Amino acid sequence: MSVQTESGTRTRDEPWYRADLRRYGRGVGGLAAFLAVWWTGAAITQPSYLLPGPIESLRAFIDLFATPTEIPLPLLGGSLTLPTGLAHLTQTLFHYVPGLLLGAVCGISLGLTMGWSGRLDDWLRPLIRLLRPIPPLAWIVFAIVWFGIHHTGAAFIVFIGAFWINFYGAYGGVEGVDGELTDAAATLGVERDLSMLKLVALPSAAPQVLTGFRTSIGRCWMIVVGAELFGAPGVGYEIINASNNLAMDTSVAYMLLISLTFLCMDVGFRLFERRLLAWR
Amino acid sequence: MAMTDSQPGESAGNPKIDIRNLSMAYESGETSVQALSAVSFAVDPGEFCCVVGPSGCGKTSLLRAIAGLETPDTGGVVVGGEPVTGPGLDRGMVFQEYALFPWRTVRGNIRFGLDRPACGCADCEARVDELVDLVGLDGFGDAYPKALSGGMKQRVGIARALAVDPEILLMDEPFGSVDARTRDRLHTELLDIWAETEQTVVFVTHDIDEAVRLADRIVIMDSEPGTVRSALSVDLPRPRDRTDATFVDHVARIREVLAGRQGRTAE
Repeated sequence: MSVQTESGTRTRDEPWYRADLRRYGRGVGGLAAFLAVWWTGAAITQPSYLLPGPIESLRAFIDLFATPTEIPLPLLGGSLTLPTGLAHLTQTLFHYVPGLLLGAVCGISLGLTMGWSGRLDDWLRPLIRLLRPIPPLAWIVFAIVWFGIHHTGAAFIVFIGAFWINFYGAYGGVEGVDGELTDAAATLGVERDLSMLKLVALPSAAPQVLTGFRTSIGRCWMIVVGAELFGAPGVGYEIINASNNLAMDTSVAYMLLISLTFLCMDVGFRLFERRLLAWR
Repeated sequence: MAMTDSQPGESAGNPKIDIRNLSMAYESGETSVQALSAVSFAVDPGEFCCVVGPSGCGKTSLLRAIAGLETPDTGGVVVGGEPVTGPGLDRGMVFQEYALFPWRTVRGNIRFGLDRPACGCADCEARVDELVDLVGLDGFGDAYPKALSGGMKQRVGIARALAVDPEILLMDEPFGSVDARTRDRLHTELLDIWAETEQTVVFVTHDIDEAVRLADRIVIMDSEPGTVRSALSVDLPRPRDRTDATFVDHVARIREVLAGRQGRTAE
């Protein structure tokens, strides 16, 4: 039966890759149309520095890697020399990564515990309702007075952004655990709350926890750039720094660098997610 | 209403499950629904007991009370001489909608109860192999539940409950969502397993045919509120033939009782 289906697919009029090719073709077409509009817009904009064209921007992007820049290493002391683009990207990662990871760990932990324990939920729900609507960037004032606007301050802002997204992912995931599954586990000898959380609630909530984390990867890029516009070192700072010198093409180059970095992280995490959630 | 607490032809020995004057109510919005009202009956060791009744007669609540998943308002359940205060490994449960852990493979699901510290099995892997074989799932051990049909899922559900070797198997309309042909096959397999393990089974269903096919004794329940209307012994040799005159007669009698005519208690 399955053999027949397999040979049946092969003898179909259209080879299997045709539909994929058509889809990719459309994607490339959309991209090309955008580049054309951009290029035309840049060509007719006067003065020309207001809108750098795609070719100038690409050249600026390549230039990001042409010269080395030395950056100081936080905590460890000393310094590190990298091509300029990578150097500033590394500076961003110095606050992005700790903020994201710490925020995710704290958010997921609190989300799981609160979703699981009705009493804690009662205690904290009003407080969370009150704090949640505050945009992470609003906390920048405290970041500045507490930590100064450097890595720690920027990491703090990223932490807040990552915290909420991961909190809600985990909270919703645990709240949505099927009661039948916990019943089944109970009849199979799971007695303690902690074992139930580990054996049933956590794996059951995993898809939502992971989606929450993946969303926070993207959201934190927006937040980190926002924080750097206030002066923390990194790619966001370089965007505004370049535009202050009217080097808009360099600004676009850094924007492209952020976009590519995010894409790599997102694709990588999706692969990890797919492997982890093979059961779905 | 005739409240028959009859255990026809049964010895006066110690029952495996003794349900005593069980009452339970649910709060649903502002009204309180009486799920069970003064339900009493007993199940003997090794007996295959079916509970039939219309939907909403509290059969599931009854089963969950025996499992220890619900606490009754009054009365209680005594299992093997001990009052039920919560779930325990001595009572395995098979759920209507399977309730398999979707993130665990077939083997992983079956293994779940064996991983508990309370359960000391010398060779868990061998036990899992044995169970996979018992429920006829060879070759599917590493499949995730999403890849299985309803009948196969319920086989996993049964194997998972059997894994910890419970003395009592509680089954909540386990074959309600599988097609008729698969159900027939599962009946035969379940009876084989039961004959082999000598477990006490409480099997809830709304399908009278199914009850007569499987049970040693059938407890017939009435709804609103859930009460036991009557009990009926089925003394037919297995395997039972649906077209057999006595089989048909049993089905007709249960139907009569359920239809509200005065229940005639068997024998």
